[in-house]
Amino acid sequence: MTKILVVDDSSTVRDEVAGFLRKNGLAVDTAVDGKDGLGKLKATPGIKLVISDVNMPNMDGLTMVEKIRSELANHAVNVVMLTTESSPAMKERGKAAGVKGWIVKPFKGDAVLEAFKKMAS
Amino acid sequence: MIEQYLLAALGGSAVTAVIALTAHRVSRAKAARAPHVEANAQSDELSAAIARQDSLIELHQQEKRELEAMLDQLRDDLRQQTETAETLRVSLDAASADRDQLAQHADRIANEAQRLKGLGATFERWHEQMISLMTQNKDMHAKNQELSSIVRHVVIVSLNASIEAARAGTAGRGFAVVASEVRALAARSEELSKSYRNSLDLSDLTTTATFQDIQAGGKMIAASLSSVEALANQFQSKLHQATT
Amino acid sequence: MISSHAKDSFERIFRQAAQSRLTVDPNDVCDITPLARDDENVDSEGDVVVLTISSIEFRLILVLHFKEDSSTRDYYVREGSDASFQEVFLEVCNLCCGAMNQSLHEYFPDLGMSTPYVLHARSVTHLDQLKPAYLASHAVTINGTVQLSATVCVCAYAPIDFVANVSAAQETGGELEFF
Repeated sequence: MTKILVVDDSSTVRDEVAGFLRKNGLAVDTAVDGKDGLGKLKATPGIKLVISDVNMPNMDGLTMVEKIRSELANHAVNVVMLTTESSPAMKERGKAAGVKGWIVKPFKGDAVLEAFKKMAS
Repeated sequence: MIEQYLLAALGGSAVTAVIALTAHRVSRAKAARAPHVEANAQSDELSAAIARQDSLIELHQQEKRELEAMLDQLRDDLRQQTETAETLRVSLDAASADRDQLAQHADRIANEAQRLKGLGATFERWHEQMISLMTQNKDMHAKNQELSSIVRHVVIVSLNASIEAARAGTAGRGFAVVASEVRALAARSEELSKSYRNSLDLSDLTTTATFQDIQAGGKMIAASLSSVEALANQFQSKLHQATT
Repeated sequence: MISSHAKDSFERIFRQAAQSRLTVDPNDVCDITPLARDDENVDSEGDVVVLTISSIEFRLILVLHFKEDSSTRDYYVREGSDASFQEVFLEVCNLCCGAMNQSLHEYFPDLGMSTPYVLHARSVTHLDQLKPAYLASHAVTINGTVQLSATVCVCAYAPIDFVANVSAAQETGGELEFF
């Protein structure tokens, strides 16, 4: 059963992150932007952790998280942002929307695997 | 306390009076036995006792006056305290009313910030329009390419026609003129096509740059609004906490 | 409108971002040399990746020119990966611009960054139509084999003056910050 959703408009990032997690025995699905992520989360109730970029066309990551909490009324799923952004204002917005953690790219799988496993269980 | 003092004073005077009376009785008894000598002595003693009694009474009266003065002072203080308390109560009521107003104001600010965040939806709309614009541009590029290749083909055809015309000799001269004019037209078309491609390239750049500016600018605004919203919410909850 | 300090700062910020993010491995050699923007240097073959950073006072457009030849492709696309070269390179440009965005954040509080877009290299010749206050091109060579060129274009809407201190601290990334 899919536990983790990786949302990023770059297929490179999706492949890198999802590939790494799958290699470590986790069930992962992917989405290409905020709108897609929202739809996939709605359709897959088993997802416990969402890892998302901020800068995406069509619907950015922070707007997606805000909608997850408001429109989908889902306050249980853990969200971690994986992005080039590091501005305090963006982090504040993330915090307010209930984002649990923030990672500034580039992605270093080994450093975050344990934390991801915990959040997806 | 005052009563006790008064009682003590009274009691004191009563006791003194009893003692005096007793002493008087004793002295009368004594006087009955010893005539005016003892009577004088007793009378002196009595005067002294009365004098002492008077000064004690005077002392007690003074104490009583002092106590009454203290009582008056305390009454005055109490009245002042009551007045101050009343003033403070009025100020507190006014402050509560102000704070309620501030809390309402904070609510309005928080709501406004929330509403402005909804502007983010506009950027999603613009994104779709941008995609459509760029698709149209690509379309125009493609059509222009096609025109270019048609023009090149025309040049080749006209060259061939010139060759045929030359072979036909004098009979082909009219044809040769037409062929060369076609080549001239083709050259102009090719120029126009290049110029059009140039315009499309410029259009691509300005459209992309403008759209990216809007996209990035929108993110900047959304981030600033989040800061405002966070501040407004903090302020709001502080005020509401104070009310409860 | 852009002071010389600011121009130097933009240059320094670009260099640091390019050195740390255009390379796949931190030990790779990255040579950055300035390019004069005359006709022989402006390459109209191939494609460019365009990104924008916007602030209230300015917008910065980063244009990264690449040719999809074997050395470039082999450098960026890892063996066994079935990602397309363009996708991989787009993400590389995204990271590079992201690093510039992070550096600029210390001096400009409100910044936003766009998603990348691919255009034909010919479009770059028209950059001066945007009336930039700062325009600089550089040739970027990685390990002597991968040839890229980068152009930084800044349009100013208010006077810009700042001094950037680019420290090596920007090399870090990847840690999970819990809220």
